[in-house]
Amino acid sequence: MRWTGGMELDPNVLHVAIRWLHVAAMATAFGGAVSVLALSTRPGVDSAGAVVAVAIRYEWIFWAAAGVLAMTGIGNLAAFGAALLGPATDWGATLLLKLGSVLALVILSLPRTLAVARMSASIGGNAHGSVTTLRNLYAATTAAFAVILALAIWLAHG
Amino acid sequence: MKLVTWSLATFHATVFVLAIVLFAYSRDALGGGLSGLNTFVGLGLFVALWATTYVTTARALEGLDLIGSARDRRGYPRRALRWGAANGMSFLAILGIVALTAAVANTRPDQVASGILFPALFIAPIALVASAAVGAAVGALFGIIDLGLFALAGLTGEEAEGAL
Repeated sequence: MRWTGGMELDPNVLHVAIRWLHVAAMATAFGGAVSVLALSTRPGVDSAGAVVAVAIRYEWIFWAAAGVLAMTGIGNLAAFGAALLGPATDWGATLLLKLGSVLALVILSLPRTLAVARMSASIGGNAHGSVTTLRNLYAATTAAFAVILALAIWLAHG
Repeated sequence: MKLVTWSLATFHATVFVLAIVLFAYSRDALGGGLSGLNTFVGLGLFVALWATTYVTTARALEGLDLIGSARDRRGYPRRALRWGAANGMSFLAILGIVALTAAVANTRPDQVASGILFPALFIAPIALVASAAVGAAVGALFGIIDLGLFALAGLTGEEAEGAL
């Protein structure tokens, strides 16, 4: 790490660290959703319990990543300071769309987590049905993440 | 630590902050607000809100089985209101300590008592009541939103009874 004299941290180093954490959290959440979706695509009936167990693990990680993404996302916006473009610009409209998409994903993720927790307690009953539900839930989550990632790439490089 | 507690607490903290950011940005008021905030302080405040929300959510859910019991779900909004108030006060207390420490550090020692501590003694009770009211309102709102999302997850009526 580079220090700018005394004990003051170079703000650029801090902003790069925050951005790195943001990207790492996004990769974890998105990659995890893709993994659970892939696992639930064609499992045998015997492995349904294992898929639900992985989904439960993913839900713990997802919420940690969601908190880190919100925290570092605001840090990223703060790095712009007063130079942050307004919502009336193309960039601003895309940012509004991204923030709205993230909010919608977080809100709709709570029922997914609760559904997975409920499934985990009653997996023996209808394993095939549970896996189908999991596939639908994680397909929707993966699609939402893909849209948010596309918006983020446009905001960074567009 | 339980998954339901962890997910609900993080859900509340992130949705609360994201909703404020979205609202402020749509009014073109975010850039100015964030530019005046030190990055470390901003990150620290979010972590503090996340922590107080986790602790208060855990207390609100103590003894409740939201997945398995419809009766427990019906009792949840009242607890959300009460512990929302506690969360508001806890977060304000942390905010107050940070603000007081910064103010004391930037004030001449002979003016700390009259300029910082004495006014803080008067402001603190009013601020605590206001933070409790705001926290209770936010908690009650989240209690209602959570019930809607429980229903969306298939946790409605008595049919989920005994699921866990």
